[in-house]
Amino acid sequence: MGLAAFIGGCGQRSRTSGEATHDIALVDSAPIRSPEPRIPVHTIALPHDEPLLPPGPGREEFVAACVVCHSPRYITMQPRFTRSAWLGEVNKMKDVYGAHISDQQVPQIVDYLMSIHGMPDPAGTSTAASYGE
Amino acid sequence: MNRRGFLQLIGATGAAALTSSCNRINSGVGTPSSPTHLIRFPEKTEMILLTDRPPQLETPLHYFRQDLTPNEAFFVRWHLEGIPASVDLRTFRLNVSGQVRNPLQLSVDDLRSQFEPVSIIAVNQCSGNSRSFFEPRIPGGQWKNGAVGNAKWTGVPVKSILDRAQVSSGAVDVSFAGLDAPPLPSVAAFAKALSIDHARDGEVMIAYAMNDRPLPMVNGFPLRLVVPGWYGTYWVKALSNITVLPQVFSNFWTDKAYRIPNAPNGTESPKHLATDTIPINRFNVRSIIVRPEPNETWHPGRPNEIQGVAFDSGHGITRVEVSTDGGATWKDARLDAEIGKYSWRRWRANWTPERRGEYRLMARAANAIGETQSTEQWNRSGFMWNVIERVDVKVE
Repeated sequence: MGLAAFIGGCGQRSRTSGEATHDIALVDSAPIRSPEPRIPVHTIALPHDEPLLPPGPGREEFVAACVVCHSPRYITMQPRFTRSAWLGEVNKMKDVYGAHISDQQVPQIVDYLMSIHGMPDPAGTSTAASYGE
Repeated sequence: MNRRGFLQLIGATGAAALTSSCNRINSGVGTPSSPTHLIRFPEKTEMILLTDRPPQLETPLHYFRQDLTPNEAFFVRWHLEGIPASVDLRTFRLNVSGQVRNPLQLSVDDLRSQFEPVSIIAVNQCSGNSRSFFEPRIPGGQWKNGAVGNAKWTGVPVKSILDRAQVSSGAVDVSFAGLDAPPLPSVAAFAKALSIDHARDGEVMIAYAMNDRPLPMVNGFPLRLVVPGWYGTYWVKALSNITVLPQVFSNFWTDKAYRIPNAPNGTESPKHLATDTIPINRFNVRSIIVRPEPNETWHPGRPNEIQGVAFDSGHGITRVEVSTDGGATWKDARLDAEIGKYSWRRWRANWTPERRGEYRLMARAANAIGETQSTEQWNRSGFMWNVIERVDVKVE
């Protein structure tokens, strides 16, 4: 089940590599120098690299409620979680961070998260929602 | 099916990170290396992408084979989408206000020219570094060991700033806030606080340089707070406001987030969550194996150097032991000379594997006050990981 394709937006500057490298040449490569700011205004352009999300029920609600604040990678970098764990996370977003999610939309968004990144609930378990980041 | 998470990265069929017995809270085995997605942000080199917006970028392990972590490879972690992307040094001011007789608005140039600079070499580690190793798995930044770095920080002690501002009597806490802005009004702006005594201990400082250069924008240009020996959540980036308070500071990021069980090493169990929690604070003892990297292949009969780093909250690492047989026997590693009390300490151990096979290397550190690493650990937020590290290496 392919999860996502990368958006080839302007200035895509990312790639997928194989195994973690231990190439000594990287250690010795010349460091990238950022010059002392000679002009007083220091500006960067932040790159975009948000995964394209597959279609599915609840996708619209997810995009409307979640992507306004953070990239979908916040979901896709997690391990697959159970329905109860995802419900805990969505409720945290709604109740603690004030995400614009109606009560009706909560299960729709959880359905979508389960479809792209869920795993079955083991019987009789739940994961406590945490605020840790 | 029990509570095991499957790590699945973008564009890859995930390498399942199955750990051992489901009765144990965790095993501490590093997840097998899976394809990583690298990205290059402005002023940074290629780093492991956890999230792009707001960014969480992890340092590839090989950068830890140096005393100091290069600025371009230093890990990145922001909470709020509105991270500063442009700073005008002509108008930027560090504001110092609250219970002070002499409120200040200092430019970066003021800080550089009007105050005696200090430098300190100190480890910065994310509270959730190594979170991906916890079992059962915990939502949050899914770091391996790369949300940590060692750098030389140059700037002004907060004490000097507070002395100039003339703190009134009755000051209790000092809060620190930066330029980053929340995406919604309902999201609390990021701010952290230290007690007044901690803030003016002479070691807590405001850095305007990192490894003798201005900070990269995504590491907090133009200023960041440096709290030696304490977890990175306190090291506020793009620092712009210091407020002296007559009471204990209260906000979401202190009262609800970044809390640990009030128990040894901040530990609890998933079925018995602690009811008494405190704010996360100083580092526990950790050692990280930097070489070999997970799933590296070494050759029999050839000498190799197992390498790593170790650090604590500033008491001093006194010993690192290494095992090449999964913990059956241990040998002392050689420690590099101490760089500074808050710097990490590099260590090395020679090993010539005689026979082909798979070996489990382990490392454990101890500090001057007898603190060591854990064999088992869990807390609901995935903080303070310091389980004795294991790396599997193939010899063939």
